[in-house]
Amino acid sequence: MVQSVYRYRWLLYELTLRDLTLRYRGSALGFAWTFLNPLLAMLVYTLVFSVYLRIPIPHYAVFLISGLLPWLWFSSSLTIGTSAIVDGRSYVGSSMFAPVILVVVPILTNGVNYLLSVPLLLALAAYFGVPIGWPILVLPVLMGIQILLTLGFLLILSSLNVFYRDLQQLMMTLIGMAFYLAPIFYPLTQVPERYRPFLFIDPIVPLILGYQNIFFYNRLPNALEVSYALVVALALCFIGRRVFNRYKDAFADYA
Amino acid sequence: MSRESIVVHSATKRFRLVRIPKRTTLKEAIVKRSFFTNARRNEVFVDAVHEVSFDVARGSMLGILGRNGSGKSTLMRLLAGIYKPDSGSIKVDGDVAPLLSLGLGFHPDMSGRENVRMNGLILGLSPRQIDRRLDDIVDFAELRDYVDVPVRMYSSGMYMRLAFAVAVSVNPDVLLLDEVMAVGDAAFVAKCLDRMRLFKRQGKTIVLVSHDTGAIAEWCDSALWIDEGRVRMTGTPDRVADAYTVALAENDYRSGSIGAGLLEHT
Repeated sequence: MVQSVYRYRWLLYELTLRDLTLRYRGSALGFAWTFLNPLLAMLVYTLVFSVYLRIPIPHYAVFLISGLLPWLWFSSSLTIGTSAIVDGRSYVGSSMFAPVILVVVPILTNGVNYLLSVPLLLALAAYFGVPIGWPILVLPVLMGIQILLTLGFLLILSSLNVFYRDLQQLMMTLIGMAFYLAPIFYPLTQVPERYRPFLFIDPIVPLILGYQNIFFYNRLPNALEVSYALVVALALCFIGRRVFNRYKDAFADYA
Repeated sequence: MSRESIVVHSATKRFRLVRIPKRTTLKEAIVKRSFFTNARRNEVFVDAVHEVSFDVARGSMLGILGRNGSGKSTLMRLLAGIYKPDSGSIKVDGDVAPLLSLGLGFHPDMSGRENVRMNGLILGLSPRQIDRRLDDIVDFAELRDYVDVPVRMYSSGMYMRLAFAVAVSVNPDVLLLDEVMAVGDAAFVAKCLDRMRLFKRQGKTIVLVSHDTGAIAEWCDSALWIDEGRVRMTGTPDRVADAYTVALAENDYRSGSIGAGLLEHT
């Protein structure tokens, strides 16, 4: 699997680039949408949760967006990636290239979008006077674990979705629910102590907390939480690889 | 290296066809309690390719004849390794360049140049190899003036020429062509033919699916006629083409499609 990604790395690069450029081709604002979407979401959330519901956090916009951006990366990758094999049926049915490429593309495309919106976050932090220091150096570690985690999920989801299309629908609902259950627009401290461990059932949560530590609290992510995310990510990749390899020969028949 | 470039032994490919149930109204669904469509009940298995055996010598060209739905394209996909046979074996030596559906991966909004890149990458070329070949590809396809135009503005002939030019530029050991020259004009077909002769001289193998019996008789070294997924006849191309033409004219095999027996199976 790793070899086939390497062998088709140029195709991966080209498909990712195509996704990034075609998404906005023909739209007047073009690439600006990468910033505008989270910015508009931020305005609404800030109004609702900081002004109306008064969640007691200073510089709420910075807190929110530090967790919201990686969440958007995660959730859009999962939504698009679950149907990646089915949507790529014209490739799967007429050529021999490794279908795992189709699954990696949405992770990379949305990852690039994430990276491009980090300057927005930095600007926002500077505007509100939230300091961001050297903990930002561990950002690549968090991103790396997030890529593995998303990939692990998608290897399982995208291959099962070929046979059970219900998954696509189910994922939309689950992702919508998971957003409210993850401490993104409220801090973890708002959650009653006895409920907190359950939040970690969703393995993206420790990573979200990590991003908030870097961009809002100006401290290092919690090593234990990050390790937990890494272990789950590796386990999912291991299972995902087996599931994917088991079913990939049938993709051309069913997709 | 053996003398045979392709060896197919008793290969069978079975498809699961699912019938989409006749639309029911909500009321009917409640009355019959069939909210959940029972996929199992609506599926039918069909052998699109059934115990097919043949081989192709290195540096030769095989023509495949057969009616619509006789299993030609499934056979080509098996040769390309896209489908795995349910039983039997298929051995193909070397790199395969399949040109099975026109403009695979061609994105309508991307230019001819961008699409050539993408297509070359799908076929396994590196960007450097593609850049080196781009001029050749564009010249061969006679699309110099249109290379930066989105392909949705191409005619079907232009589309086909570009796809063909990319496939031959890969320089594969085995070239699979599924009914791709039907949309080309005589001049371009002649050019393709020249390129295929060159291929054969280089010891490369070509498998061609075509409804043009004349072309098969003239160009190929051997021919295969498949009917309802089974080999009906193999031999020299003129004999197979003649027999096929006669059979079609006599109308002795009316609906040679894999779906023909569907009703009896259910």
